[in-house]
Amino acid sequence: METFRSNPAPRLLIANRGEIAVRIIRACRDLGISPVAVYSEADRGALHVRLSDYAVAIGPPPARESYLVPERILAAAKSTGATLVHPGFGFLSENADFARKVEEAGLTWVGPAPASIAAMGSKTESRQRMIAAGVPVVPGMTTPAESAEEIAAFGRANGFPLLLKAAAGGGGKGMRVVRAEAEVGEAFLRTRSEAKSYFADDRVYAELLVEGSRHVEVQILGDKTGRVIALGERECSLQRRHQKVLEECPSAAVSPELRARMEEVAVAAGKAVNYVSAGTVEFLLAKDGRFFFLEMNTRIQVEHPVTEMVYGVDLVVEMIRIARGEPMSIREKPSPRGHAIQCRIYAEDPAHGFAPSPGRIRRLRRPQGPGIRVDSGVEDGDVVPLDYDPMVAKFIVWGQDRDEAFRRMKRALSEARVEGIETSIPFFLALLEDPDVVANSVSTQFLDDWKYEPRRPAEDVVAASVIAAALASMEEAKKRRPGSAAVPDGVGLSSWRNARACVGVRE
Amino acid sequence: MKFQVRMPGETEGRTVVVTAGAPAFEATLDDAVLTGEALEVRNGVWSLVGRDGRQIEVSVALQKDGSVRASAEGTLFGFELLDELTARALLTTGGRAAKKVRHVAAAMPGRVLRVLVGVGDRVTQGQPILVLEAMKMENEVKSPRDGVVASVESAAGQAVSQGDVLVRFEAGGE
Repeated sequence: METFRSNPAPRLLIANRGEIAVRIIRACRDLGISPVAVYSEADRGALHVRLSDYAVAIGPPPARESYLVPERILAAAKSTGATLVHPGFGFLSENADFARKVEEAGLTWVGPAPASIAAMGSKTESRQRMIAAGVPVVPGMTTPAESAEEIAAFGRANGFPLLLKAAAGGGGKGMRVVRAEAEVGEAFLRTRSEAKSYFADDRVYAELLVEGSRHVEVQILGDKTGRVIALGERECSLQRRHQKVLEECPSAAVSPELRARMEEVAVAAGKAVNYVSAGTVEFLLAKDGRFFFLEMNTRIQVEHPVTEMVYGVDLVVEMIRIARGEPMSIREKPSPRGHAIQCRIYAEDPAHGFAPSPGRIRRLRRPQGPGIRVDSGVEDGDVVPLDYDPMVAKFIVWGQDRDEAFRRMKRALSEARVEGIETSIPFFLALLEDPDVVANSVSTQFLDDWKYEPRRPAEDVVAASVIAAALASMEEAKKRRPGSAAVPDGVGLSSWRNARACVGVRE
Repeated sequence: MKFQVRMPGETEGRTVVVTAGAPAFEATLDDAVLTGEALEVRNGVWSLVGRDGRQIEVSVALQKDGSVRASAEGTLFGFELLDELTARALLTTGGRAAKKVRHVAAAMPGRVLRVLVGVGDRVTQGQPILVLEAMKMENEVKSPRDGVVASVESAAGQAVSQGDVLVRFEAGGE
C-alpha cells in the first residue's frame, strides 16, 4: 500500500548522490519520468532526496556500505517499481558487474552494455583493444604489476617519470607520479591502498608520463542503431592532484583539422567496443600535435555541461532516450557555437593546502544571469558531509568567444557567496588572472608548479571591511550587555513584511 | 569606540575610531574620515555605501581572539581587530608571544591511514608525519615545526575528530 498517491510515469532510479543526482533528476523531469533517489544516513536531508518523487535509504554513511552496495540499490529499485537505473559518475558507474546485475534483474541500465564497460574498465585491456583498433596509445604496461620491482623494471626500460595508475581507476583517484626508481616502493604501496579503498581492486600498473602534454578528450554518443557520433573536444589540462578543476569546450589548442582527426579516432574507439550511450575518449595531446589514447570513460562525465552548452544538446536526456531503445535525437551532427568553461567548486580551503572543508553552508548566493548555469547538489543551510567527494557545485558559463566566457566566469565567481565552509572560488578567481591560463599555454603539469596567491583586496575594500568588522563588534558588545535596548515589537520590520502578514501572502 | 587593526604583512598597526555606528556611520581610519550608510543585511553580511555612492558588500566573521575573516568583491582576507581595552591588556602581558606548538591536531575529521613517525623521532618542519583520509583523499599531515616526537596519540585505522591530538612534541627540543 502506498502512503501517498503514486505518480503513474515510468520511474528511474539514480544510483548516486549530490550534484550529479540532481542533474539526472532534472533530465527525468524534462522527459516526464519520475525520479527515484537513494540515500545513505548522511544524506537523508540532501537536495537530491528532496527533489525526487521516491527515496530509499540504503545504509550507513560510508559509500562502501551504501552507494557502493549493488544489492541495496537493486532492492530500492524493486521496492519503488523503478524500471531504469542511471549510475551517474563515480560509485558504481563503471562497474560492469553492477550493470549486468541491473540487466539481469530485468531493469534498463542507462549506460553502455556491460561488455563495453568491462572492455574499457580495465585500463590494460582497453589499451590492448585500442591498439588492435589502430588507436595510438602511450607506452605502458599491458598487464597489472605484481610487484614494485616490476614497475621499477618498466621504468628502467622506458625511463622515468612514470605514472602509476589503479587498473580499475578513474576520476583522478588512485594515481601517482614516480620520478625516480627510489620512489617506486612507497608509491606502489600507496597507490595500491588508494585503489583498494576507492575501487575495491588493488591492481595497479605504470605508464610513461609524457610531460608538457595536454589532456584533451572527445565526447561520443552511440545509440542502439549502431550509430556513433563525436561532439567535439574538451580541454581539461588544468588539473590538481590529477583531478580536473577547470574545463573548456572547445580547446583553444585544437584546430578544426585536429578536431576532425581526434573525432575520427574517438568514433573508431567507440565502435571497437560497440559503444552505446554517452562516453568520453580521453587523449593526451603532445606539444607536437600527436595525440595518444589515455582511457575511455564509459559514463557521463563531470565536465559534460561545457559540451552541452556549445553543442546545444542534453547528454543526460540522450542517454535515457537511448537506453529506452530510441535513436539519439541528434539527426545531423551539430557544429560548435561559442565557448564554454566550467569551474568545479569544491568544499576545500585553498589558503590552507586545499584541506577538505565540510560543514554547514550558512549562506549561499548562486551566480545567475545570461550565459550562466549552476549545477549543484546543495542549497542554503545544507550540510556538506565529510564522507564523500568535496565537489559541491559546478559553475558553467557560455560566451560568444573565449574572452567573453572568461569575463562571465569571473562575474559568476565574484557574484557567488558561500559562507560556513571554505570553497575553491578564490582559487579560481586567482587562476583566471594568470597570463598563461588566459593565453591557454598550459599542460597537465601546469597546476603542480602553480602557487595559489590570494588576490589582494583593493584599499577601499579593506577600509569597508575594517569598518564593517568594527560595527559588527560594537553590535555584539551591545547584545552582550544586559539591559541593552532590544528592538521594540514591529520596529525594524519593513512595511513589505507587515503587508504580507495582513494579506496572508506566502513567503 | 576605538580599535587597533593589524593587517597581515604590515608592520605598522592601524587605528579605527567609530564615532557613529549603523545606519549612518562615521569612522576615522588612521587619518581619513569615512562616512556613509551601513546596513547589516543579515548576520555578518554588511552593505556599506560611502558618501560618494561607492557600495561594497562585505561578509565579516569575528573570532573570539580578535581575528576577523572578511570577504568582499571576490577577495578573501584576514586581519586582527581589537578594541582598545583588549589591545592594551595584551600589551601589558607581553602580547601574544609566539607560542611554541606543542602538538599536532587533526584539522578535519577523518581516518588515520598510516603513521609515519615514532616516539623519539626527530622531525623537521614540513615533514609528513601521518596520512589522514578525509573526503576520499589521502592528506599528508605535515609537521608544523622542527622537534622530537614525545608521543603518538593516534594509530592506523583510527577515526579522529577535528581537534584530536595526533602527535605531541617534546618540550623545547629544537
